[in-house]
Amino acid sequence: MGCGQIADGHISEIRKLDNAEVVAVCDQENLMAMQATSRHGVPACYDDFGEMLRKETPDVVHITTPPQAHLLLARAALDAGCHIYVEKPFTPKYRETVELISYAERKNLKLTIGHIYLFDPPALALRELVKEGVIGDPVHVESFYGYNLAGPFGRAILGDGSHWVHRLPGKLLQNNIDHLLNKVAEFITDERPRIQVHGEVRRTIRFGDVRDTMPDELRLMILGESVSAYATFSSHIKPAAHFLRLYGTRNIAHADFVARTVTLEREPTLPSALGRLLPAFDMGRQYRREGWKNVRRFLRSDFHFFAGMHTLIARFYDSILNDAPPPIPHRDIARIGWMMDEIFRQLESSTGAS
Amino acid sequence: MTVLVTGSNGFLGAALVERLVHHRVEGIRCFVREGSDRSRLELLRQRYPHAKIQYYVGTLSRREDAPGAVRGVDTIYHLAAALSGAPADMFLNTVVATKNLLEAVATENPRVQVVHVSSFSVYGVADLPAGHTVDENTPLERHPERRDPYAFVKWHQEKVLKEYQRRLGFPLLILRPGVIYGPRGSAISGRVGLQLGGIFLHLGGSNLLPLSYVDNCAEAIVHCAMRKEPGISIYNVHDDHLPTSREYLRAYRKRVKRLRCLPVPYPLLRLVSKGVEWYHDYSRGQLPAIFTPYKSANLWKGNRFDNGKLKSAGWRQIVPTAEGMRRTFDYFREKEY
Repeated sequence: MGCGQIADGHISEIRKLDNAEVVAVCDQENLMAMQATSRHGVPACYDDFGEMLRKETPDVVHITTPPQAHLLLARAALDAGCHIYVEKPFTPKYRETVELISYAERKNLKLTIGHIYLFDPPALALRELVKEGVIGDPVHVESFYGYNLAGPFGRAILGDGSHWVHRLPGKLLQNNIDHLLNKVAEFITDERPRIQVHGEVRRTIRFGDVRDTMPDELRLMILGESVSAYATFSSHIKPAAHFLRLYGTRNIAHADFVARTVTLEREPTLPSALGRLLPAFDMGRQYRREGWKNVRRFLRSDFHFFAGMHTLIARFYDSILNDAPPPIPHRDIARIGWMMDEIFRQLESSTGAS
Repeated sequence: MTVLVTGSNGFLGAALVERLVHHRVEGIRCFVREGSDRSRLELLRQRYPHAKIQYYVGTLSRREDAPGAVRGVDTIYHLAAALSGAPADMFLNTVVATKNLLEAVATENPRVQVVHVSSFSVYGVADLPAGHTVDENTPLERHPERRDPYAFVKWHQEKVLKEYQRRLGFPLLILRPGVIYGPRGSAISGRVGLQLGGIFLHLGGSNLLPLSYVDNCAEAIVHCAMRKEPGISIYNVHDDHLPTSREYLRAYRKRVKRLRCLPVPYPLLRLVSKGVEWYHDYSRGQLPAIFTPYKSANLWKGNRFDNGKLKSAGWRQIVPTAEGMRRTFDYFREKEY
């Protein structure tokens, strides 16, 4: 439901699975539904969501509309007995997130959110290292998400003061910082961690409307009972990096989501100058190993842009077929919703930007 | 006489506004997005202080912005289209935007003349023999979904326009330019080739390049619009004395900058295209299918072109091709250094 840019990714990734098929697409603008049908060869298209649910009776509905419509559409899909995959941000407000999760649980239907980077190869590899005890106990997390405002979506936002992003409480930030917070929430498991927020508008003011107040830089300090985190969203730092650094009691891990590598910074095993000499070679060796791992993935045709989305969808569908827990705990979805509300509340009170 | 120009601050749009001023059109309403770069239009306002060049601020992707823009105008010059971006976004900003404009026409101004700038890309020449002459009778693309996103959206944009014309009966003029070029445009068309890393793949070989210098194209649009033909009329737009792709590239390398070029003959390109398409399918989209035999045949098999209908309508090229290329290359050389 919703045939914008991200819907293309969903359709392509679902079609790679052996246990699912895309039976229909739907968009309130019939031309948008038609173009998705035409380009992807989907058998049916609708501009009426209710009609689509009645006629196609799908098992799963992927909701890829702007977030303001998520709650309404998700409830309708759940009422029709469908499991739902909801794109991020889940809903504009935390209370709607809680309401939707409760509704799905009452209906005994599965629900997930598009936190695709949690299932990208670096995230999966990092999780293995944690499980094996290589990192030790997590102490601190650094999550960084760079955004290119000159890209197609950034241009669309800046080119249109009425774009739906500007109507979100957290505007551009809310559309992106799921990717920051979900990595943090994996290690800071507190229900209500303390959060300190700094946001600002760094680009030149030129529109004289709502776009000028849209923060494009964000720094967060998040303090849990036993783990702390720094989180950075930046639209100006180049290149637009995307990484997670996990500081443990044994080693530091660096997961790079752009280069798709995971490297470790270890305690020197040799004393003095020799201990300072070897780490660079060790790092070089690790990057070479990661590079070749990626080459092998590429040769196996397993190096797609939406690798994380593919794994998430596959695991979500498996959880439906096997009646197993969904790949992303509902508690995490709710906690991230709360963090977002808290961040935008602080931003609003400190700068008036929201 | 008042006209509306969508896409007015674009490369062709600004040239069109200037031609409208030359043709003494009294009121020129320029549809511009909030906060968009209006430097080209500002320059025209300074150059022609007596011309009534006004802004109408809005966006066609927002349905409620269109009615006010079309109200009271005699002609709509519809140039707005997305040239790049994700396919769905391009469709939204081109085809859905056109539908929003036409919905406003239906309610506010159903007899208005609509002038639409389409593209050669709507023709389907892949299945026609090499050297086929492209004119207004050439069949339209039968498989737009197999083409690149730009061709896909331009094809659907024309389709929507024709559907509304049939319903409302307004005079619809469709102009299909070839390669619009000039200072501040793009330096080298995809019909010549593509930059891949540090190497320029010359794919056009000795194919004719259907160039249309931006001022000539703008003049053709205004000239044909002033004929006020009823129903649907269609004109292909390109200049005379067309260079081949090889001649254009040679001149560019001589006058603008050196390029490391790799000529790819069409039979080899076809082979590579088959390989790229096969790998795209095999790897389930790991690399994009930028080349397929179908796309390559449309762009690089080679055609001849006929602008006879445009000339019969009285259009004359105002900037000779050699002069147009000289101005273009001078601009890009200056930009380089």
